[in-house]
Amino acid sequence: MRLDIRYTTRFRYAGQVTESQNELRACPTTDDHQWLVHYDVTTFPTSRVQSYLDHWGTRVDTFGVRLPHDRLEVVASATVETGSRSQDPPSMPLAAYDQTRFRDAHLEFLQTSGHVAWGDPVAAAAAECAVRAGDDAIDVIMAVQESVAGLEFRAGTTQVGTPVDDVLAAGAGVCQDFAHLAIAMYRHLGIPARYVSGYLFTVDDATGEDRAADEVEVETHAWIEAAIPGWGWLALDPTNAQEVGERHVTIGRGRDYDDVSPFRGVFTGRQDHELDVAVTMRRLALEPLGDIPGGFMRQVAQQQQ
Amino acid sequence: MGDLFSDYELDGFFDEVFEATGVRPHYRGVLERLRYLSSDDLERREAIRDGIFRSAGITFTVYGDDDGIERTFPMDLLPRLIPANEWDIIERGVVQRVTALNRFLEDLYAGEQAAVHDGVVPRWLVHTAEGFRREAFGIAVPHAARCLVSGVDLVRDHRGTYCVLEDNLRNPSGISYVLENRAAMTRVLPVAFAEQRVRPVDHYGPMLLRALRSVAPPSAGENPLAVVLTPGVYNSAYFEHAFLARQMGIQLVEGRDLVVDEHVVYMRTTKGLERVDVIYRRIDDDFLDPVVFRPDSALGVPGLLSAARAGNVTIANAVGNGVADDKALYAYVPDMIRFYLGEEPILPNVQTYLLWDDEQRAAVLDRLGELVVKPVAESGGYGMLIGPHASDEEVETFRSRVTEDPRGYIAQEIVALSRHPTLIGDRMEGRHIDLRPFAISGEQVEVIPGGLTRVALTRGSLVVNSSQGGGSKDTWVLQAEGPAKDPDASTVEREV
Repeated sequence: MRLDIRYTTRFRYAGQVTESQNELRACPTTDDHQWLVHYDVTTFPTSRVQSYLDHWGTRVDTFGVRLPHDRLEVVASATVETGSRSQDPPSMPLAAYDQTRFRDAHLEFLQTSGHVAWGDPVAAAAAECAVRAGDDAIDVIMAVQESVAGLEFRAGTTQVGTPVDDVLAAGAGVCQDFAHLAIAMYRHLGIPARYVSGYLFTVDDATGEDRAADEVEVETHAWIEAAIPGWGWLALDPTNAQEVGERHVTIGRGRDYDDVSPFRGVFTGRQDHELDVAVTMRRLALEPLGDIPGGFMRQVAQQQQ
Repeated sequence: MGDLFSDYELDGFFDEVFEATGVRPHYRGVLERLRYLSSDDLERREAIRDGIFRSAGITFTVYGDDDGIERTFPMDLLPRLIPANEWDIIERGVVQRVTALNRFLEDLYAGEQAAVHDGVVPRWLVHTAEGFRREAFGIAVPHAARCLVSGVDLVRDHRGTYCVLEDNLRNPSGISYVLENRAAMTRVLPVAFAEQRVRPVDHYGPMLLRALRSVAPPSAGENPLAVVLTPGVYNSAYFEHAFLARQMGIQLVEGRDLVVDEHVVYMRTTKGLERVDVIYRRIDDDFLDPVVFRPDSALGVPGLLSAARAGNVTIANAVGNGVADDKALYAYVPDMIRFYLGEEPILPNVQTYLLWDDEQRAAVLDRLGELVVKPVAESGGYGMLIGPHASDEEVETFRSRVTEDPRGYIAQEIVALSRHPTLIGDRMEGRHIDLRPFAISGEQVEVIPGGLTRVALTRGSLVVNSSQGGGSKDTWVLQAEGPAKDPDASTVEREV
């Protein structure tokens, strides 16, 4: 599926601010399931955007505006081609997760992290899923997924930083909470799990032929990936109780939200501001790719040197 | 001298000045000088010393202490001497160790992570080290000089062998005491100093500046501008930050004096913005750049890491060095030396036990009262257990801490640290000492002759840290060529 994505962040400040410095993580990655065709970032006031791949492989666009300004607008535009993916991991006993080498290689996705620190309630919920599912690892993974997907999607009850035990107790949250809770349950069971930041195209019957019908306003989305020994990462979307497919566009992966938060920044001046974030996604008709300026990933890697 | 050393006891320790048969040869001259000093004269010299340090404003802040925070770091009148042949070992050993640590860090943050991939250093240890900074990935440092200033703490054991106790690769402090001690010593014991052919230390400032300029990014041009970045006057080592800036003749700045524009760092001056190429920062990683690290930090410079990544500024010491002076990683430094340099370590580590290893932990817990236990990420002697000196209750506290967080601690055999005569009241008594040589990494690694000799002033204490009530000694590295002049009875330390 070919998708155009336009991610806009607008700050309106209460007065003049200066020395704004920012990091944006909004660029779709290129991996086995998707290919980035085009990406650019523009800012107003204008700035020189410097980009690099961070430790997790996510493209980061950094930029600053030193002189006084009362608003800042950042537009990231991407065109990405997504494909379907194999979601058929082999069944295996949970004991497969005990190998030292496997655990060592996935260490950072097994430990607690800032937003994935759980207590007894989450531990009990995870254990309950494991008991219900039995010994097969995939059954356990799916049991956790169903359990978390049973929560109610409700905006406003939580904020980024709500502990996973509180999310479980409230029985509701938004996609970040669903992801953090599921990751905590997996890690508690010794299953490496990571946080995925991205976009989800929510039009079911888009054809790419009808501009109005094929375009939709969304928000950034979050889902998770659980490691399967000897197979890879199984992507699951606990918010929508579905497998991850070609309507999911991955930006990046990390231990939790903080590793892939879309926007981080500081500025000098009165801190009051209005923030408006808009994500527009549109399906494009498939057409020959034509000449793509070669080696985007290589360019970024070189800038990093 | 007879009076000063009456009843001086070796107590079975390795003594820096005395061996079984008498005074070690390299100390004879200095002791001969002291012989002529009356107790009145000694007192006068102490008064001169105190005056020098007070007027220089040399203090050290002690954290976690309720009575007043500023203290002086008292310098003993009797210097510590290191003969040329011993210094040669120390110097080669420190250069070797710091070179390997630089290579390891550069490889970890900007290379292939060969030591991790080849299993020389366990991946999980790196990833669980408090000082590991993923945010620093991809930022290379010229000459791999990541530990631009490092302090490798050395002790001598009961045989007199120099061993490495720990590495300080983040923001080691103490060099200002080395320079001030020397300046004071040349006035307190001028004749003894002049006779001993002591290798100088006063070129530290130019040496540091040369190294800082050598790591400037290629974009910096012919005459790179370096600054010292301090957290400010409330920091315990502020005196040293100001001192070093003065020694180098460069600006001492705080975060608010710097600004980043289009990924270039500038200093605000009365004449406008001036481009900065190298920042010798004495601010911890977490406070360095609020965009990347703690967003509430007002001490740092927003956008600094982005500027470093763009190749427009070099941050020294490099970001993330704390991973390599984590005390659990310390145990692997000898292997890093073998791996990166293909050499055997010149200076051995102290026997160290890794407590996440079930067998080692069990053995350690069986004899906790005989060992030293240290938290892996602390420095400054904070939070340690010294088994033989601890109450049963303290030992039990550490037993539960180690059991709960085995990765968080290491245990070491107690080293019977060498002792050095130290003036206590009007007599010399043996006190335990260590040595922190300072290495500077630029185009190559150099060690300033000597370093900071710290003295545990409390009788029997093994803790030498200034933050734990330690003192210091001027450290004299003797020139290799020819023997020192024979003490000439016709010249005595003049009345001062």
